[in-house]
Amino acid sequence: MSTAILNEPGANVAAVENARWERAVPVYGFPVVNPFFLCLVALTLVAFGLTAYRELYGLGPVSGMNDAYGWGIWKTFNVMVMTALGSGAFAVGIAAWVFRRKRLHALMRMALLTSFLAYACGLLLLGIDAGRPWNFYWMVFPWKWNMHSPLAEVAICMSIYAMIPLALENVPPVLERLWYFDSRLRPGVERLERILHYFFPYLIAAAYLLPGMHQSSLGALMLLAGERVHPLWQTPWLPLLYLGAASFMSFGCVAGTTMLCCLVWKRAMDMEVLDEAALITSWLIFAWLGLRTIDIIFRGALGTAFHFDRFAGVFWMEVLLTSMGGWMLRRSLSNHKTRWMFLGYILSSLGGMIYRFSPTTLAFRPNPESLYFPTTVEILVSLGFISMGIAGFLLIVKRIAILPAPLSEWHGMANYFWFRRPYIRWTGYFKYGYFGENEPDTKDPL
Amino acid sequence: MAITRRELFTTVGKASVPAAIALTVGTKTMAAEEIPMPNAAVGLLYDASICIGCKACVAACAEANDTPSDTRTDALHQAPSDLNDLTRNIIKLYKPEDGSATSFVKRQCMQCLDPACAAGCPFQALHKDPDTGIVTWTADKCIGCRYCTITCPYHIPRFQWQGYNPRVTKCELCSDRLDKGLKPGCTTVCPTGAVIYGPRTVLLSEAKKRIKTNPGRYYQNRVYGETDNGGTQALYLSRVPFEKLGLPELGPESVPARTLRWQRRLYQYFALPALLYAGLVQVIRKSLKGHEHEAHEREKETGLRAQL
Repeated sequence: MSTAILNEPGANVAAVENARWERAVPVYGFPVVNPFFLCLVALTLVAFGLTAYRELYGLGPVSGMNDAYGWGIWKTFNVMVMTALGSGAFAVGIAAWVFRRKRLHALMRMALLTSFLAYACGLLLLGIDAGRPWNFYWMVFPWKWNMHSPLAEVAICMSIYAMIPLALENVPPVLERLWYFDSRLRPGVERLERILHYFFPYLIAAAYLLPGMHQSSLGALMLLAGERVHPLWQTPWLPLLYLGAASFMSFGCVAGTTMLCCLVWKRAMDMEVLDEAALITSWLIFAWLGLRTIDIIFRGALGTAFHFDRFAGVFWMEVLLTSMGGWMLRRSLSNHKTRWMFLGYILSSLGGMIYRFSPTTLAFRPNPESLYFPTTVEILVSLGFISMGIAGFLLIVKRIAILPAPLSEWHGMANYFWFRRPYIRWTGYFKYGYFGENEPDTKDPL
Repeated sequence: MAITRRELFTTVGKASVPAAIALTVGTKTMAAEEIPMPNAAVGLLYDASICIGCKACVAACAEANDTPSDTRTDALHQAPSDLNDLTRNIIKLYKPEDGSATSFVKRQCMQCLDPACAAGCPFQALHKDPDTGIVTWTADKCIGCRYCTITCPYHIPRFQWQGYNPRVTKCELCSDRLDKGLKPGCTTVCPTGAVIYGPRTVLLSEAKKRIKTNPGRYYQNRVYGETDNGGTQALYLSRVPFEKLGLPELGPESVPARTLRWQRRLYQYFALPALLYAGLVQVIRKSLKGHEHEAHEREKETGLRAQL
């Protein structure tokens, strides 16, 4: 169904009601295995093979990293940039749970899943990028940590976050799937859910504190590099700017991905939720741009933005993309065009990605001057680990209730499986209300 | 229901009292922060003006550290173009195009008093000895993140790019030779005495004596490393500007002290994060209650199990 018309002024009220996201529903009726999925799996397998080669022969033969550029795209793109896109659980979560923008709860499962996948893939590649990963076991002994090192903060905090609060936040959809899977599992699942809910406030709070710490520490990493980071980027406010970029980029990632999924799998878009997300994102973008501009002006680095060199080029590209994205999001709120909103998310996230990529790579000036360009192997591995995340996403949204949808979608799914999976009836799921369709009618008929 | 103004103010108010206390306590300790001088700090004094560039120290360094000769680029013995995973010490020549004064320079670890590499090292693989002040690398603690190669303002630590078990290489002032009562390899062979070893205080007074006896001979009449980057244990004298020799002007404050000041303050005793956590738990508890209530209301309306 066409969704853009739903938000037109004077749209049919019933149509808006029918598009309201009520419930997360698995994507049904589309096979998991398709050519695109197979391509992603192939890329992932290629990356795994190359990874084995890297583990045997070292980083030098496979990558373009050198003494001047000690960090390649595995760290600077897959970790610095991709985890910023995957901070949805942090940014959307804070908006929903702390600032109580309750409409955004519809997007929470998407945010949690994309975050988990981005972090998991980033951390795996971080382990491969590390030269001596077997020594990561020191993480278990807090008294061996170098408490004031930004890198220790990032490595430890990120791993703990992805493995404990973020992973546990993703458990409820899995438990829900088990609950519907077999009625015999229900008492056990419900007991687990009760335990999880008891700890939920503590978990969620940790899930906002930890990313706040490590996303800002990612910026603090480059503080120690001092003069080698171009003055347009090197600032004491780097941690805060990194955190700000992560928050608007992750809104873009979550809302943009959800819109794309709705488009691909032909689901209705709830414009009330999307408008709210776009409004928050645009404010985050403008606040971030304001802070960035004020910082550059007060440090007296503005002049370097008008030099005719690659740094100024990167800077203006970043600023133009971000502000253009913010403006398009704003326009989409008044002209009610989902196309503008989607493009706004894409552009602002691209601008943010360039920002997060710059201090370590594009605006990094090692002394003596040297060049770094990722090798084919490096790019293939980087792409492979991103593909793994996307493949995981495609598999999970088709099996577990992640994507938000109107109530009709849920009933549609029940009807769909009633005919196509008749064995579901024999194992007794429907008896206890599989999909809630055959719930014994205990309610008052009126 | 969105967070109310009253709730916001009271939460912020409650949180700000302990936060203020933590910040003031933290600020006091930060103001007292000084770079401790190791009581038996040893170092090198390199006088570029009397170095003849014979590279005997480069060969002696390789021998003392038992490293194979680096023949990777052109199969020549001990002729690498820069420091690398087999070269802890190197002699370079600064020769400007305009024909003005040339100078050799010996590059090795500066053994900073407040080393940026150790400040960034996540599990203290790079560690400054509290007595001698020598910065050493421990294989068992290094995760191979290469952050030291990013942070070092002198670009000294080098990562081994080949092999499954890479190491980080930097000058450790031959600390195992020092334990045996020997001098660092490079200082044992220098024919002109351009590089000498000794306690830092002795070297510093020696350098100042040289400046006093030869006024105008040395650049700015000063010793590089006395206060630069918070002070280093390798001291340099030169006729040409220091930054031409790869020794940047970093100011008297060390790089970690200058750049990580706020980072350190915010994480002091982990007080502010803990406070923030407690505040978040309070707010989220309330939101969760409301959210669960709404979800169960909706469950009754639709007859479908609530999704939390």
